[in-house]
Amino acid sequence: MRRIPTLLRAGALVLACLLPSCVGTIGGAPDEQQAVESIPERSAFPRLTHTQWENSVRDVLRLEQRPGLSTSFTGDPLGGVFDNNEAVLAVTPNLWADYQRAAEELAAMIVADPAKVALLVPADEGQGDEARARAFIEAVGKRAYRRPLTAAEIDEHVALFNLAPTVIDGDAFLAGVAHVLSAFFQSPHFVYRVEGTREPREDGLIPLGSYELASRLSYLLWNTMPDDVLFDAAAAGELDTKEGLRAHAERMLADPKAREVILSFHSQLFDWRKFEDLYKDPAVFPEFVPEMGQDLVREAELFVEDVVFAQEGGLHELLTSRTAFVNERLAAVYEVDAPSGAEFGKVELDPEKRSGILTRAGFLAANGTARASDPIHRGVFVNLRILCARLPPPPNNVPPLPPAEGKTTRELVAAHTGKGTCGASCHGTLINPAGFAFENYDAIGRYRTEDNGFPVDAADAYPLGGGMASFDDAITWSQMLAESREANECFARNWLEFAYGRDAEVEDAVLIEKLGEASRTGMSVKELLLELVGSEAFSTRRPVEVAP
Amino acid sequence: MNRRHFLRGLFGVSLALPFIESFSPRKAEAGPGDVPPFAIFMRQANGVVQQTNDEPEMFWPSQTGALTTESMNAEGDRAVSELSAYASRLILVKGINFAFPGNGCGHSGGGNQCLTAQKVSQDPSGNESLAMGESIDNRIARELNPAGVEPLTLYAGKKAGYINEVLSYREAKVIRAAEHNPINAYKALFGLSNLDPEVLKKLAAQRKSVNDLVREQMQSLMTRSDLGKADRDRLDLHFQSIRDLEVGLQCALTAEEVAAMEAMSPDARANDNLEKVARMQMDIIALAMACGTTRAATIQIGDGNDSTQYTINGVKQKSFHKISHRIDSDGSEGPPIEGAHLLHHEIDRIHARMFKYLLDKLASYDLGSGSLLDFGVAVWLNDLGNKYHSYTDVPYVLCGGANGYLKTGQYVDVNGVHNGRLLGTIGAALGCKNGAGGPLDDFGDPELPKGMLTEIIA
Repeated sequence: MRRIPTLLRAGALVLACLLPSCVGTIGGAPDEQQAVESIPERSAFPRLTHTQWENSVRDVLRLEQRPGLSTSFTGDPLGGVFDNNEAVLAVTPNLWADYQRAAEELAAMIVADPAKVALLVPADEGQGDEARARAFIEAVGKRAYRRPLTAAEIDEHVALFNLAPTVIDGDAFLAGVAHVLSAFFQSPHFVYRVEGTREPREDGLIPLGSYELASRLSYLLWNTMPDDVLFDAAAAGELDTKEGLRAHAERMLADPKAREVILSFHSQLFDWRKFEDLYKDPAVFPEFVPEMGQDLVREAELFVEDVVFAQEGGLHELLTSRTAFVNERLAAVYEVDAPSGAEFGKVELDPEKRSGILTRAGFLAANGTARASDPIHRGVFVNLRILCARLPPPPNNVPPLPPAEGKTTRELVAAHTGKGTCGASCHGTLINPAGFAFENYDAIGRYRTEDNGFPVDAADAYPLGGGMASFDDAITWSQMLAESREANECFARNWLEFAYGRDAEVEDAVLIEKLGEASRTGMSVKELLLELVGSEAFSTRRPVEVAP
Repeated sequence: MNRRHFLRGLFGVSLALPFIESFSPRKAEAGPGDVPPFAIFMRQANGVVQQTNDEPEMFWPSQTGALTTESMNAEGDRAVSELSAYASRLILVKGINFAFPGNGCGHSGGGNQCLTAQKVSQDPSGNESLAMGESIDNRIARELNPAGVEPLTLYAGKKAGYINEVLSYREAKVIRAAEHNPINAYKALFGLSNLDPEVLKKLAAQRKSVNDLVREQMQSLMTRSDLGKADRDRLDLHFQSIRDLEVGLQCALTAEEVAAMEAMSPDARANDNLEKVARMQMDIIALAMACGTTRAATIQIGDGNDSTQYTINGVKQKSFHKISHRIDSDGSEGPPIEGAHLLHHEIDRIHARMFKYLLDKLASYDLGSGSLLDFGVAVWLNDLGNKYHSYTDVPYVLCGGANGYLKTGQYVDVNGVHNGRLLGTIGAALGCKNGAGGPLDDFGDPELPKGMLTEIIA
């Protein structure tokens, strides 16, 4: 066994003692701040994410598939949990060069294929090239800018079209098409969702224009630009009422394109990407082969699709449903019969052993070490992602503890960080209980009743609903979370941040509280999205405090 | 020998080629053939194996003072001995500390500070924390590059998501994403190298006509009276990024090198390609410096807590982060990894060899009045000190005297000076100024004591 110098350990403990005690808020709404009945200021130019860029290019050009060019774009820095936070999505010199190259490549690709050109440019029926060019610019420009072009804009693009033969070789008409397409994809009106409406209502908020609403709706529910139906609805003013907006949102949620968005949210919130890069000690877990990383992701996707679309469920079902989708490898982990035929078959898991997404192998294995359970990381995850608890940061430079012989993982962790130690302020009340609940699952998520030869103890208590709530194990813990104000407000808060592409602000507290309560009493994910679409924060802007 | 000749000799291609104005060579201040001094920063994660508590000294030489190839070879058990061939041009600096505590995550707190000497953000915190000011590469580019030409910000390795970027800051809390794929970086800088001059002229005209339209659209958006500050800053950055293409001299790598980058492209983030990608990125950095493209570059090796699994003696090891903690876990407890400090030392050597590759590359450019390496300074740094992930004795290894400004061929222990002094001195060596017009002696957080690191000035 390795030795850690006593002095250093003492140092670490002193550091831990200096930490502020863990009184941070749990749940969505910060109680101590006065909620304001308004909506937060936000960007009028949210930039497309790289995925949105791909999807939009596909739809502007009426391609069968995404072009795939964004895989070589300069990546964006992470701005919190989700990849679409408008605060960090900027056009840097490198990214601008990426956009430029991609626009030129796309233009060249289109004009090299007569079939693709035919989808974008009206046939020559004797009206002449100029008229065809105008028709092409109007039709494709409307999709690229997600609104009809103004007369001046059409003229500018016609001028660009006419200039093309002097700068692009080959057929003059195709050169014009290429040049205009290249300009469309480099335009700020394509790169950003430009929200230009500025006329305030009586209450001071600025209602978005119809086409701006269509874009917000479409990028929220489909992660791409509006389709023709939505454009028509915008033109007809159908989106200007709450009812009209809702009707289109319902239509769009029923479309398979909505699944991508639903999965993207859950993938980022539950960090599925981590599943693909797990290392488990083959000496302890010979059955954990590298392919299982992909299995765990697929299982999670199928589960969420089932909850949201088949069960029409919400957070409650996510945390309690026992329906699972497994292949042969995962069936062994869950101790169920392997499905016959299908690669992934639907099974019901043992209600004594499993309840919802936190008791699935993906979460448990991703938050387990190579050999053991990892209550601290499991607990931190539940606190941060399920309960939106604001934990003070752990101390720096804590030297690791050597493994203690003859103890359970829980005993070891508790001795280091639990009640009666310096780490108790956070670990003792928030982190450890939330993680100990999962001690019935080993490093790959297999159910167990013994750890290191001793009986597992998964019972504890956690401060929920203003008091201490006791639970026996992960089943009752998941049930309690599903019924708690805190977890439901946190779920609503996360959805709000994802749906609006920005951080939740103090002005959002009222909405988060309302949605949290609705979620707690059974609102589905789909209904939660419809409520987010129906809110003022979705359909209006707040007048901006002008920069000096 | 002027640069035009030297480039022709080096690449063996006709150089009556155009180049991108935005990345054009600056007029050399010291006459034809010289390049203005530049700085390159290569960042390693997770600290090094140096003497601390129970850790043995396996990094630094045993004695401070003058460095010779012989003296460094005589201590072949030290990681820096990998660089012995450059002894006369090295400056090993021990005793540099970070001035500020991290905020919950040692890795991000170290990454935030290693090139900024700034405080760590309160919000966001933990592994998402950010630096509260610009990094030295940004300062150098901002002050010495033509307007709008960014520092080169490159990356080698996977991005595992816990902490990706740590290195280059535009300003407080605004981090620059690094390019992880060499072919993209190359194309962005020199992508048109193989085009016929006539074709390029047409492309320049084509781009200009689109740029004119886009600039007009941008301007119209920016004249809106209701722009918030964040939006205005974002649009301004975008506006500044739009560049025209002009005809002139061009720089290029060989077709083989470019083909290798193309081939690597789909797997540029793969664990096992890290060292290969790092070398390609260094080829690009060296070319960029030779061509006067930018005055500052960074290359980040691995993600925030470098989870790369390095291969040592033919065996793919556990993640560097786990090895650096000496346990088989990313958390605070786990089974010990046997001989972890020896593995860590070997990983230090891998980084030393990557750094040596950069030095070799820079040294291979003969400018007549010296090699490219002599005109600039390359820095191998870490965002942590040692296995305890502490912020003291964070190693900085410099090579190249920045055209004679820095005193090379020595190992100094500066005994606990904050890193802003070192970074400022590097900036000053390149020509950066403080507010009063003197050499940059106040880089980093304004609370820090001012001054230069006189030990390393010639």
